[in-house]
Amino acid sequence: MTALSSGNGAGADVHRGWFPADAERHRRDAPRYCPACAAALSLADGGRGLVTEYWTGQDRVFVSFCGACGWSGDIVLAARVTGHEAAD
Amino acid sequence: MLTAEQNDELTQVAAGTPMGELLRRYWYPVAFTRELEEFPVRPVRLLGEDFALFKTPRRRYGILPEACPHRRASLAYGVAEADGLRCPYHGWLFGVDGACLDQPAEREETNFRSRVRAEAGVAQELGGLVWAYIGPSPAPELPRFDVFVMDGVRDIGWTDLPCNFVQIMENAVDPHHTEWLHGRFFEFMARHQGFDAPASFGKKHVKVGFDAFEWGIIKRRVVEGASEEDDDWKIGHPLVFPYNMRVGGANIEQMQIRVPVDRTTTRFMLYTVHAPAGVEYPPQPTVPDYEIPVYDSHGRHRVDYVEGQDMMAWVTQGPITDRTVEHLGRSDIGVTMLRRMFKENMSSVARGEDPLGVYRDYRSRIDLPCEKNKFDSGAVFAIDFIDRASSRFSPQADALKKLHIRAHENRKAAAE
Repeated sequence: MTALSSGNGAGADVHRGWFPADAERHRRDAPRYCPACAAALSLADGGRGLVTEYWTGQDRVFVSFCGACGWSGDIVLAARVTGHEAAD
Repeated sequence: MLTAEQNDELTQVAAGTPMGELLRRYWYPVAFTRELEEFPVRPVRLLGEDFALFKTPRRRYGILPEACPHRRASLAYGVAEADGLRCPYHGWLFGVDGACLDQPAEREETNFRSRVRAEAGVAQELGGLVWAYIGPSPAPELPRFDVFVMDGVRDIGWTDLPCNFVQIMENAVDPHHTEWLHGRFFEFMARHQGFDAPASFGKKHVKVGFDAFEWGIIKRRVVEGASEEDDDWKIGHPLVFPYNMRVGGANIEQMQIRVPVDRTTTRFMLYTVHAPAGVEYPPQPTVPDYEIPVYDSHGRHRVDYVEGQDMMAWVTQGPITDRTVEHLGRSDIGVTMLRRMFKENMSSVARGEDPLGVYRDYRSRIDLPCEKNKFDSGAVFAIDFIDRASSRFSPQADALKKLHIRAHENRKAAAE
């Protein structure tokens, strides 16, 4: 895991308990390339995108924006695909 | 959850960074009008840079980098003159546009003066505040949002907080915190500290929604007992991108302002206009401003009022909240939307376009959508607002309550 630079407000949780593992999973699993134009999303890969992760049930949702082509959407790592679910 | 690099980028304010360049496309309030009436020159820090703000005897406002281009002495100790600001050290004079107008110790026949200038910003007065723009020319229009130009009784609470402004803005798209921080927690503290907590803040959220619009994000909520036909959903209230939130209800209109002073300091201002119908507003030659308390005498956060609770939540996240170890849930989708909006607009600026909320055609008044019947609680909200929010520290708190009560009685009498 890449640590936050000094003065960046890195808290103790960066190195504590199960927090580092989640941060590492985010770094590993977050989409790296835009599904629309294939440009890099991650700043670490030289991209200009943004990927924010939130959790819902067993799923991990990556809210993604591509700075190269402007594509924006949610990419979901789903534990289960459910059919015949009632619409909201 | 973000990577460290993304968090770093999102929280920068410095020139040359994508976020810093985005933030330099907007106007910011940097002083109270009365401050420059009392003394015409003062130091100002904005987006991590230091400036001298001044008002000339001809009532023109100017903002220059604090360090004099000559020998770097502070222009914040300068002499305000008819044509601009004169350095206290050797008397170099700079106009409000940054042009060097005088170098008293240099020979008249040289062209040295024309080779030196200060990188001036632009400053204007509006609504009891002095606003500054320090981005690239030409400056866009200073947005004349409704609260800054409407009739009513003005009141400004403020403080400086030791944290990055983005974590404060994320709170503005987080409706759920209200029922806990200002509901359950308020009730808990009230029980232990012996005061009354307002009931109107604790209603359970049934549904929240967010819509992007031309000035930012409209936040909507349905609380228990209300419906989508109520103001909280039908109208909602906006996060005004990138650093404001417009709130209100029960004849109180407010802009919550979060100015990024530097990366880890935010000037928090509650610009409030009390505008009940049915009463004449007293004249206000000067808009009152007052510092609101953040800490108690033991150095603990003051959490016995609404904004004190908010400030506790913002500041205790640390100077820059560590988003690599956060855990967002579905209730945080407003937060994800705001981060994406910041990033989209960083890209717009990188392409040479104006970002969201920058406009160049003068408008005398910009009305923002804002619910009137807050939390479906009617006029009770006005009294809760003054008694249990930052207005309680206002030197005119009692007068404001009387204003609302008198207006209510007048309206009632007129209806009978």
